[in-house]
Amino acid sequence: MAYMHIGKDFTPPDVPGKVTGRIKYAEDYTREGMVYARLLTSPIPHARVIDIDASEALAMDGVIGILTADDVYPDGEPQSTSLKILTNEPTLVGEPILALAAVDEKTAETAIAAISVTFERLPFVLDPLDSLQPDGADAYNGGNTFVFRQGFAGEKWTADQVASFRAGNEPTAEPQQTVAYGDLEASFGESSYVYEGTFTNAGYPHHSMEPRSALAYWEDGKLFLHGGSQSLTAFADGLAGIIGVPKEDFVFVNAATGGGFGQRARAGSVPVYGVPAKLSQKINRPVMMRVTREEEFTIGGARQGLTGWIKVGFKPDGVMAACDLWIVSDNGGKGGGADAYSAADCISVLYQADAVRFRGTAIGTNTAHRGAQRGPGQNQIAPIISPILDVAADELGVSRLEIRKINSAMTGDVGGPQRTPFTSAYMPEALEQAAAAFDWEGRQSRRRQTNGSKVVGLGIGQGYHNAGRSGMDGIVMMGADGRLKIHNGVGNLGTYSYASTSRAAAEVLQMPWESCDIITGRTDLHLPITSPQDGSNSIFTNTRTCYGAAQDMLTKMKEIAATDLGGDPADYDISNERVHQIADESVGYSYAEVAQRAMDLGGKFTGSAELPEELAEWTQIAVSRLAGTGFMGIFHDPRHEGNPPGFTVTACEIELDKETGKIDILEMVSIGEAGTIMHPKGMDNQLVGGAVWGIGLSAYERHLYDPQNGLPASTGYWQSKVPTYLDTPLKIETGWVDLPDPENPVGARGIGEPSMGSVSAALTAAITDALDGHIFGASPITADMIINHVAGTTEEAVPLAQNNFRG
Amino acid sequence: MVATSHDVMPDIELYQPADEATALDLADRLGNEGWLLGGGQDTYGWLKDRNKTPSAMIELTQIDAWKGITENSDGSIEIGAVTTLTEIAKNPLVQSRYGLLAKAASIVASPQIRNVGTLGGNLVQDTRCWYYRRGLDCYRAGGNICYADSPEGLNREHALFGASRCVAVSPSDTAPALVALDATMVVSSSSGQREISAQDFFVGPDRDILHMTVLNEGEILTAVRIPNTWANAEFYWEKVADRNVWDFALVNIAAVFKTTGGTIEDSRIACGAVECVPRRLTEVESAIRGQARSESTANSVAEMATADARPLNYNNFKVPLMQNLVKRAIRG
Amino acid sequence: MGEIVRYKRDVWGEEVILGVSWDLLYVVFMAIVILLIAHAIVMAALAKKNLDRPTGEGRRVVRHESIDRAFHWLMAVSILVLIFTGIAPILGLRIAWLNIHWISGLILTFLVIAHIIRATFWQDFKSMMLMPKDFAEPFDSSRKPGKYYFEQKGMHWAVTVVVLAVIVTGVLMLMQINTPFWERTNSMPEDQLGLMFLLHGLSTLALVALAATHIYFALRPEKIFYTRSMVSGWMSEDELAANHDPAKWSPKEAD
Repeated sequence: MAYMHIGKDFTPPDVPGKVTGRIKYAEDYTREGMVYARLLTSPIPHARVIDIDASEALAMDGVIGILTADDVYPDGEPQSTSLKILTNEPTLVGEPILALAAVDEKTAETAIAAISVTFERLPFVLDPLDSLQPDGADAYNGGNTFVFRQGFAGEKWTADQVASFRAGNEPTAEPQQTVAYGDLEASFGESSYVYEGTFTNAGYPHHSMEPRSALAYWEDGKLFLHGGSQSLTAFADGLAGIIGVPKEDFVFVNAATGGGFGQRARAGSVPVYGVPAKLSQKINRPVMMRVTREEEFTIGGARQGLTGWIKVGFKPDGVMAACDLWIVSDNGGKGGGADAYSAADCISVLYQADAVRFRGTAIGTNTAHRGAQRGPGQNQIAPIISPILDVAADELGVSRLEIRKINSAMTGDVGGPQRTPFTSAYMPEALEQAAAAFDWEGRQSRRRQTNGSKVVGLGIGQGYHNAGRSGMDGIVMMGADGRLKIHNGVGNLGTYSYASTSRAAAEVLQMPWESCDIITGRTDLHLPITSPQDGSNSIFTNTRTCYGAAQDMLTKMKEIAATDLGGDPADYDISNERVHQIADESVGYSYAEVAQRAMDLGGKFTGSAELPEELAEWTQIAVSRLAGTGFMGIFHDPRHEGNPPGFTVTACEIELDKETGKIDILEMVSIGEAGTIMHPKGMDNQLVGGAVWGIGLSAYERHLYDPQNGLPASTGYWQSKVPTYLDTPLKIETGWVDLPDPENPVGARGIGEPSMGSVSAALTAAITDALDGHIFGASPITADMIINHVAGTTEEAVPLAQNNFRG
Repeated sequence: MVATSHDVMPDIELYQPADEATALDLADRLGNEGWLLGGGQDTYGWLKDRNKTPSAMIELTQIDAWKGITENSDGSIEIGAVTTLTEIAKNPLVQSRYGLLAKAASIVASPQIRNVGTLGGNLVQDTRCWYYRRGLDCYRAGGNICYADSPEGLNREHALFGASRCVAVSPSDTAPALVALDATMVVSSSSGQREISAQDFFVGPDRDILHMTVLNEGEILTAVRIPNTWANAEFYWEKVADRNVWDFALVNIAAVFKTTGGTIEDSRIACGAVECVPRRLTEVESAIRGQARSESTANSVAEMATADARPLNYNNFKVPLMQNLVKRAIRG
Repeated sequence: MGEIVRYKRDVWGEEVILGVSWDLLYVVFMAIVILLIAHAIVMAALAKKNLDRPTGEGRRVVRHESIDRAFHWLMAVSILVLIFTGIAPILGLRIAWLNIHWISGLILTFLVIAHIIRATFWQDFKSMMLMPKDFAEPFDSSRKPGKYYFEQKGMHWAVTVVVLAVIVTGVLMLMQINTPFWERTNSMPEDQLGLMFLLHGLSTLALVALAATHIYFALRPEKIFYTRSMVSGWMSEDELAANHDPAKWSPKEAD
């Protein structure tokens, strides 16, 4: 289909500001009378605050005031594992206890050091398996797990059960959750190759470049908060509730965000924004709270660490017959997630196994806050399952590409324990495209070739994430100038999805991009509700809403034209910013004219009447404020059917030096399968950015805690080992299948998360390949692990542990 | 109660002497209260996190006499201590005669850090033990405990050799290169100048647990002299770090060889990141003297290099890694 | 207390004892030097009245058996080595002191244990006993002591207490470092560890003072025959008669 905007490159409006540095992040704002807040955080992994003596600090020159958990929660703190604004019951080192405001940061920092906090030290635990021991410490006050609607609970195994799991055996304890389909026993019976083993994934932090700094002030009873987030309206909607300010009195300003990766999608992950909001309210001054890198590490979220046992069976032809997965998840000191379930879901979707069983237990530890991180679960399992597939392929004499093809998801298939049909799925096409671009077959002759201490490894891997939602709202406006104003609440995460999705509205109205304005960046510009920008959903979800709102405007244009100029709305079409009769293009209105007519007519044309009944409360507030100010297109998106998947395939060639444990990625090709491509440049960015993340997951990034004292050891970029420019390939070739999805008006689906998973899967497969099929069962696989393996060192074999990766 | 909120520069006096005498006088006068500031890459973190609290900084980078690379009449070269690592890596003289040092300097940290980081700073930088860097009062910080060397301590990056209560290692990339090149450190103070061989410049925890070098209060490392003994010798340099940029070595090796007809006449080999000081492999040097620079010679001495190693919980891998690097250096 | 005890933050930021303030070393050193100089001056002033010093000539009696002398000197050497190796890093000397220190400490420990056993079962334990009546001895020139006079007994018991304190704390500290016999642990809580360091430091200071005093008196002209007897084992009958009460101590004649 020939599109005007879809599938074409463009420059998103925030790019010049980002290139020149003129765009403003939360820390860049100032306000007259602004004071600076610093956080005092817990130095102890698990404690209870007994007393706070701030008298000396408060007496210092320039100190304005402090905010404690008692100020924030006068009726007591909510009992949950969620992060709180401030707490008296810290369950991790670095959890905010109080904030202090002073005339400048230095004074605040000096004053913070003068505050005396008396803690009661409580037992702490860093590894869920330690907590599952009969006498293991509990991470929370009241247990080591949190049961929805029931509260804290204690989950214990016998010492033998823990020891047996650590020794590599299938856990025998009762799981908290079991989900299954198919006949597992029969499917394993049909298998001619069965792999069984344990694995761990380090649950490493998000490390957003922009920390959770925020500026807050109150004016005329309204709270203005400058912060960073992945989502705009969905985030603000939730944050209003956390702070306790009516939605209509809350203005969230967020023009740009320096990274989120899942932990700034929803306000529950960033309650610390409540600190400047509440402190500003208390001291009646604008408050800038700057969050440090270490604080960002602690409260900025980390992926759940997984410790698992996996059993996979393959039929003689390579078809995956069954997968049995048992995972203990690390929920950290705060937060949690469903990564383990998603891991099982991912295997089911990607490999279409006849039978899948997932069993899981999630346990708290006194480590950093946990929550969704780019492909939560799907991407942890990607580097675990991929080498297993390869070993199975070699055992069964099937090619490694072929074993993936025969197990591929296709349109008409279902996936996941819920057996959800795909809206469309083109995995075989993606595999073929990747294999062709990489010359997978041609390269096979290089497989395991050695050059001195170096050996070549080839890997191919797949990534998946459910990539689309629905049920949100869309608003477009037009004034007498005839410009299209697309109100977009998606949030500017750096993916430019706020702009890409807006292009669907421009497409509907055949509007030149120069005549469009994206209205976004602050909620007092009256933006519709969106789904939080996580789960790779934005492209699918918000092209639907933007498209729908523009369609509504188009329908109204035709209606106005037909009423004014005669004929039936069906007799009208649009072109060149005009609505006109199909038969006689001279009969019609320019967009400016029709907008003016709409404003003259009012009522449903300006959002004053006949609104969709299902509009979210947030959208209703926006619409009520926009009503009568211009020509409005308004839309509430009905729910879609099926699972719109985002798929990726990556192939890579590495050279592994057996003497140094170092890997060098020589070549990498990543192919996306995400329906119609909205914005090729954005797609390329997603695939390349995801690749860097995947490389980090497989080979570098780690999460360290000192087992003796519960101190975090990888709070910054250096110790976390985020991959650098020279750890990634010079060029990552990208491409995409570009076949439309029927459940999206422009055929688009998301891609953000799987782009990481396939790279991790391919890279780990390549490492395994270079080491003659040795499966580490771990992410990351670091140089020391490779050296130890090659040298046959066993002394260092650390038992399964998620926070201290196996070295 | 310790405040765990960090990352704000405290009030501090800044001295920017433009000549040697003033700098040495300041160093003498301020003693331990005067923090010597080169490129600042091992300074601001300490100060902003308030884990080191000197009252003043003496910025050395404005003293021209301590900058630059000059050739002496005897063929040796002298490198001013506040010369940047980038300048050293790109200097034609260093590149042509002491390629080992050029290579070592070119792989320190990241380009941005090398652009401001100085040779002196790279040599006298403090250890990177994360417990110590966190500001804990460990032995090295004047306390009475080592958090890294315990049954569960995270010590993957720590020492194989020479530990004495503290198990931290030397993080420098240029130090092993200078030890291999038999360089001399020029140390100045208001009372004069002394020269110390590179090997003796660094000090282990057994002799001084609070310092990484033998610099006394009031002394400044002002230059490094490299004799022409090893100019244009056969060099081998390699650094293995987790990442290829912005990382400290897991193990690095610097080796210089003089060969005749493929036979090793003399050599000097030093490894970094395995001990608190660059570890000179004198036994290996002796063992390979008169041997061919070959795979078999390399294999025959590799284990000798780690004979005294005492691995900790998580750094066993450094033993085979160091052996491999010794092999690679010898076989060339 | 601020000048005596040093504090540090434990791993979670709470203030705990780190050890003794080594500034006290200089205080103790200066105090001892001043006291001893004062003593020397006083003694010098009194010296003229006391010219009838006993002679070392003539018949000799046994004061210390060779085994006892060996014990004394071995303990003395190990204590001096311990003091030197312990103090050197505080004074800023860069020597590899720790291994020498703990090995000397172990030697001292074994010597002390052996000495306690010997003294209890095979030596004349009573000769070192400090009885209430002994306290009158310094004030009554007519009272002569047995084998050891009051000050000697006092020194012995003071050293005993202090050395036992250094040994007990030292052994506990030894458990915290790597030795050929064991790998170190961080099993001792940091506040207890600090207390060990404090007691070890305080007893070290006391030991420094006692050792200095002991050496001073050992070198004093009027006492040097005791030092000689600790080297050669004998004292003269003249020295015996002048300083000791034969009724309380009758040593056998020396060979």
